[in-house]
Amino acid sequence: MADFYNSDSEPTTRTLLRRVLDTADSRTPRRLRSAGAGAQRALLETPSSRRLNSGTKTTAKQHSHGARSIGRLAHFQVSGNLEEQTPRTLLKNILLTAPESSILMPETVVKPVPALQVVQPSRKESSRGSLELQLPEFEPPTTLAAGLPAPSRKKQRLRLSVFQQEVDQGLPHSQEHPGNADASSLTSSLNLSFATPLQPQSVKRPGLARRPPLRRAVDVGALLQDLRDDSLASAPSGDSLKTPIATLPTDTVLEDTQPFSQPLVGCSPSVHHFLPHPFPTGTEDAERAMGHGTQSSGPGLQNHMSGACVAAPSLSFLEPQPWSAAAPEIIEAEDSQGTVEAEEPEGSSEDENTSDRPELAASTPEFLQAKQLHPIPETAPPPGVAVLSSETLEPASARLPRKPRTAGSRPRQDSYKAGLNHYIKLFSFYAKMPMERKAFEMVEKCLDKYFQQLCNDLEVFAAHAGRKTVRPEDLELLMRRQGLITDQVSLYVLVERHLPLEYRQLLIPCAFSGNSVFPAL
Amino acid sequence: MFVEGKEALNPAQKRLKAAVHYTVGRLCEEVALDKEMQFSKQTIAAISELTFRQCENFAKDLEMFARHAKRSTINTEDVKLLARRSNSLLKYITEKSDEIAQCNLERKARKKKKSEDGNKSSRETAEAEAVDSED
Repeated sequence: MADFYNSDSEPTTRTLLRRVLDTADSRTPRRLRSAGAGAQRALLETPSSRRLNSGTKTTAKQHSHGARSIGRLAHFQVSGNLEEQTPRTLLKNILLTAPESSILMPETVVKPVPALQVVQPSRKESSRGSLELQLPEFEPPTTLAAGLPAPSRKKQRLRLSVFQQEVDQGLPHSQEHPGNADASSLTSSLNLSFATPLQPQSVKRPGLARRPPLRRAVDVGALLQDLRDDSLASAPSGDSLKTPIATLPTDTVLEDTQPFSQPLVGCSPSVHHFLPHPFPTGTEDAERAMGHGTQSSGPGLQNHMSGACVAAPSLSFLEPQPWSAAAPEIIEAEDSQGTVEAEEPEGSSEDENTSDRPELAASTPEFLQAKQLHPIPETAPPPGVAVLSSETLEPASARLPRKPRTAGSRPRQDSYKAGLNHYIKLFSFYAKMPMERKAFEMVEKCLDKYFQQLCNDLEVFAAHAGRKTVRPEDLELLMRRQGLITDQVSLYVLVERHLPLEYRQLLIPCAFSGNSVFPAL
Repeated sequence: MFVEGKEALNPAQKRLKAAVHYTVGRLCEEVALDKEMQFSKQTIAAISELTFRQCENFAKDLEMFARHAKRSTINTEDVKLLARRSNSLLKYITEKSDEIAQCNLERKARKKKKSEDGNKSSRETAEAEAVDSED
């Protein structure tokens, strides 16, 4: 009996009833003896039943099943001798058949009791006092109940609903027709046993309950709401939006894989994400503008792989006039994204062009115009048309790049610096000592210049080869100029040294049998 | 440091390095006269070593650029790419290259007129060599 107390740590109805039964005086000496015998036999059966349970592949952890089976055995001991229904037997039935923690399903406690009452005595009539018969009868439920956690929760939920339906409909029938009710009540009892493991497991092993993802989804939603409110309330300046975002960079660093958890708008794009970044900026811009979630535009944006960087500001142009101030920010953010993204081998020439806009403004405007006209129409023609229609200052899309260059220089810096936060954090980590604010700013400036130069070089290299797209050859050239690749050290050597195995397989072509090379050169 | 580099080279390179050193010395003398400030020997040696190594780097880069553009000859484009870092130098070089291109065009026009009269091929090659040497 002490085992039962230990297994039920929480004061559930089950434990309370158990205690009542154990401590309360029984009416007849016969019952007492039987109760005592039942208790003794239950104690004796504990190891054997537990062994049986383990034999039927229920784990020892599932005390509920063991307890239940033992309880049922004990109940049979008792109920076999008693045929009248006393409060004691009622309570016992409740204990035996009720779920361990029936807090969430209170209705199931009462209903199956009459069904089982009908079932058990009928069974006992057929086979009296024989443990052997009882055990195989309860083995299937235990096995089934044990096998239940293995299948998915969906099945459990389905069975629960089925059970509830049966409970609603079948139990009145089962009471009237005990013979027919054997199957249905057995199934209902089985369903009951199916239903119960849900709760005890979740109660007993809260670590397995998958709550954190739910919390995260809620956080993001609330965050978007807050940001929307903030943006709607205040003017869309980069600084005002930075404050709620300032708390986010840590999240963005950690939650690398969730695109919608990124800080929003063009003000602070994270650096370590390439393509998913424009999608949240685009979607959140739209949210800000339209006032309602344009999540459909988000996935729509995701379909345009190459035009992502340009599509984001193009989408922002669809916004009404008051947000036109935000548009340069977004474009500049897109610029910053472009400059940062373009250092990757898969960067397209559009990134180079966008990074070029602020820099070579003085030197070769026509050259840039020609280049920018080229990517913008080819990537997002419909938003381009909307651009032309909505922008009052710039009649031609050719002028469009100049506007962000001249007007948005300061928000661009903010977006750059916010985007470089990631690298600054890395720097401070590797420095292993506290850093002053001034030092952070200097590091930011240096990184900024470095990345600008890098992307400039890449763009120039591509142009030198008569191309408009940056290709791996350009990067190899850059690395050669940086001194990383020498005559002794080739690119493949560096790949082997620094990259994990999966990337190596992708980057270094391996020759297989049959004249096949992977990846194809 | 000033001496090691010379010893690692073969005789032709040593002579080249000596020539560079001599030229740098002459230039430094002119600057010293101009600014009325003397140059020490170590300074001149350092400058000449620097110039030599930088020329090596330039040559390697130029070759890389030409190969990157899938050419086997180094072009003025390669040189411009090399000089893009410093704006003033880039401007200077672009001006010079434009001048040279202009000269080339004029000469070609003149050549074509002259070649109608007499031996075109020999004169063209002579002019081309002259132009190339000027480059």
